[in-house]
Amino acid sequence: MTADVAPLLMLAGVSRSYGELEALKPVDLGVAMGQCVALLGVNGSGKSTLLRIAAGRDTPTTGQVRYGGAPLHEDDLVARTEIAVAGDASSTYPDLTVREHLMLVAVAHGGGQLAPSLVDGALEECRLADHGDALPGSLSSGQRQALQLAAVLVRPRRLLILDEPEQRLDPGARQWLADLLVAQKAAGAALLLATHHLELAEAVADEVIVLDDGQVIARGAPREALGSPR
Amino acid sequence: MATQTAVVVPDTTEETLGLLRSLRRGRARAQVANVAYWLYVLALVILIYAGWLVEAVFRALKHRPAPGPLTPELLRAAPAGLCALALLVLVSVLWDARWRGPVMVAQPTADWLLDTPVRRSRLLRPRFRRAAAMSALAGAVAGLVPAVLLLGAGLGGNGSGQSVRLAGTAMLSTGLLAALGTGAAALTEAHQNGRAPRAATIAIATAAVAIAGLAAVTAAVRLPALIATVLLWSGPWGWAAQGPVALAGGSAPLWPLATGLLAAAAVGLVVTGDRAAAHVPAAALRTRARTMGHMSAAVLNLDARRVTTAYRGAVGTYRRVRFGLRVPLQRWLVLPWRDVTALIRAPSRLVWSALLSFAAIGMGALAVRSPRASLLSLAAALTFGYLAAAGLCEGARLDGDDPSRSGHLPFRYETLVFWHAIVPSLALAVLAGGPAAALAIATGRLPLLALVVVAIPVLVGGALVNSFRGELEGQMFQGFETPLGNSYGATISLWYVTGPLLAIGPMIILLHRSISSPRAGTITTTVVLSIVLAACLGAIARGRARRLRST
Repeated sequence: MTADVAPLLMLAGVSRSYGELEALKPVDLGVAMGQCVALLGVNGSGKSTLLRIAAGRDTPTTGQVRYGGAPLHEDDLVARTEIAVAGDASSTYPDLTVREHLMLVAVAHGGGQLAPSLVDGALEECRLADHGDALPGSLSSGQRQALQLAAVLVRPRRLLILDEPEQRLDPGARQWLADLLVAQKAAGAALLLATHHLELAEAVADEVIVLDDGQVIARGAPREALGSPR
Repeated sequence: MATQTAVVVPDTTEETLGLLRSLRRGRARAQVANVAYWLYVLALVILIYAGWLVEAVFRALKHRPAPGPLTPELLRAAPAGLCALALLVLVSVLWDARWRGPVMVAQPTADWLLDTPVRRSRLLRPRFRRAAAMSALAGAVAGLVPAVLLLGAGLGGNGSGQSVRLAGTAMLSTGLLAALGTGAAALTEAHQNGRAPRAATIAIATAAVAIAGLAAVTAAVRLPALIATVLLWSGPWGWAAQGPVALAGGSAPLWPLATGLLAAAAVGLVVTGDRAAAHVPAAALRTRARTMGHMSAAVLNLDARRVTTAYRGAVGTYRRVRFGLRVPLQRWLVLPWRDVTALIRAPSRLVWSALLSFAAIGMGALAVRSPRASLLSLAAALTFGYLAAAGLCEGARLDGDDPSRSGHLPFRYETLVFWHAIVPSLALAVLAGGPAAALAIATGRLPLLALVVVAIPVLVGGALVNSFRGELEGQMFQGFETPLGNSYGATISLWYVTGPLLAIGPMIILLHRSISSPRAGTITTTVVLSIVLAACLGAIARGRARRLRST
């Protein structure tokens, strides 16, 4: 861990098994405010399992997950107000526009009168300003991915969990994504990111954890960890 | 809005749900119009196609038949029979809770609202209440079935007022029971504790079957009245049965008290379920919303196979097993090994096939005993037999779903049809052949055993024809106009039942002929023709497989 402050999210000895299959072997992990931890690994290495546990959406077989010092559960109000999970909403309301989806999230998170300006800002930032009145069904897959990120930007967040946010984005958009995540970090958010994109991890992460077959095989500062995987 | 300090969000529930309502007002109106349209279509269909049936039922209720020779037996069996029916209502509601449940949200709501601070109680309780109301309504309609059966048997007095009273009581009891089940289902959803709900559902289903058996015994043999009394007071299922039993002329003097108890229990469980609804975990809601999304898409495409697959995925038909057969080294054993392994991994399929085989043999025995009624009994026997065979052909269906799945095997795709016939035929021979042989020996009609043996490859052949039917083609929805409307409904139905139709139809005629005149010559002809029929079905299945591979 690179930050000296107490971690906002703390996973201690967390593992996950499905019957006899050990999808994730015991992992320790901490993410502090203003810090980004990136998980790297091939498909099936346990990244998404770890993210689900970190978001409180899955119960670990062993170990503990603590958020702000207290045990974490997805259904707790604090998790719903402070933890933003991107790339999770696979479906959309077929009759609501992009702007209306974002308004719903902004209002639900207490945006109130500020909601319209928050939505406009997020649309602008996620390069969706021209598609605000479009139905999500008419968006390209990259734009749908951007909508997921915009939904995160219109709500308050202390911890941002992103599962392969670079997927379906073109190379130009990936640079934009890296800039966006760096800005989030600078604003004080804690970031936990799973990615296949080494450049993104290098640009954003303070710590990289490389997983293989559910096990940590390398960890450390990006250059150090990415230079030494088994 | 990334913040370093704790986030405090005011309660935005009403504001958010109000916004959602106003944004979707147009859709809500369209939905109401849609429901109205379908109700109109339903009414029209009933009027055109089933009007005579409704009229016949009303006429039968008005001029009810006088008690017949079987009426006393039916009245004796009513307490246990109605208890079994009530348990079936409970099982259906609780089974539903294992994969769908009364507390359910649409997928977009799960994806966009569950991880917001919107109060879950406000989001989920109205859904539970709606489900409880719908369940009570459906239960009340289902209550008409036992009422009509009792009235049709000449029970329940003569006046039309008495008929209405019996029907009303049955509807009320079943409606309350369904509402009670929905409350219990919400509790099951909120407290998902592993295998307990599955075990409870299986236990209740087993009890229903046992009590149904008891009803059959009670009809044949006079059992002590205490047994009926114990059943009627054994729980909500018994309380629900008391009203109809009493009004049909049976002994349940305290039925108003029992109905009151049932109402109190239903209210109690609905209130408890309403509280529990707010605590259904978000993870479960997401999974169920996704399953229903997949299932709705499959239903809209009239894709029965995908509906089944989505359902099995949700209920978890396949369980991890600790044992299995060693992979064979001989090439010709590979596919039989795979089919046997599939059966071992889903033993419930084997159990169902065994039960259906027993039912088939039972109906077959009935056909032999009374040749005059044999057509109907034979149709039932062959239908049960076909369903048993179809249950054993899962390996073939998996290969039919995705031709690339067996691309790595050293067999031509269309020859898989024959390899997949081996295990179901042998399994069915054991499951149906055993009881059939016992029956043939007991009745001294050994030649008829040959008919069971030749029916097996025919039924398996029919199941294989259906296993390799592929996906429903879009052009089938076009159909053509007929005086009775567009033909696509009939075309699609026919497409689904081609296999059973080709197997069962000719077999009814062949078997009926042999049973009516069980001479050696007739039986030999039937055996030969059945073998030809099985070969034809194999060829059709092979043709379908070839077409699947080429598309």
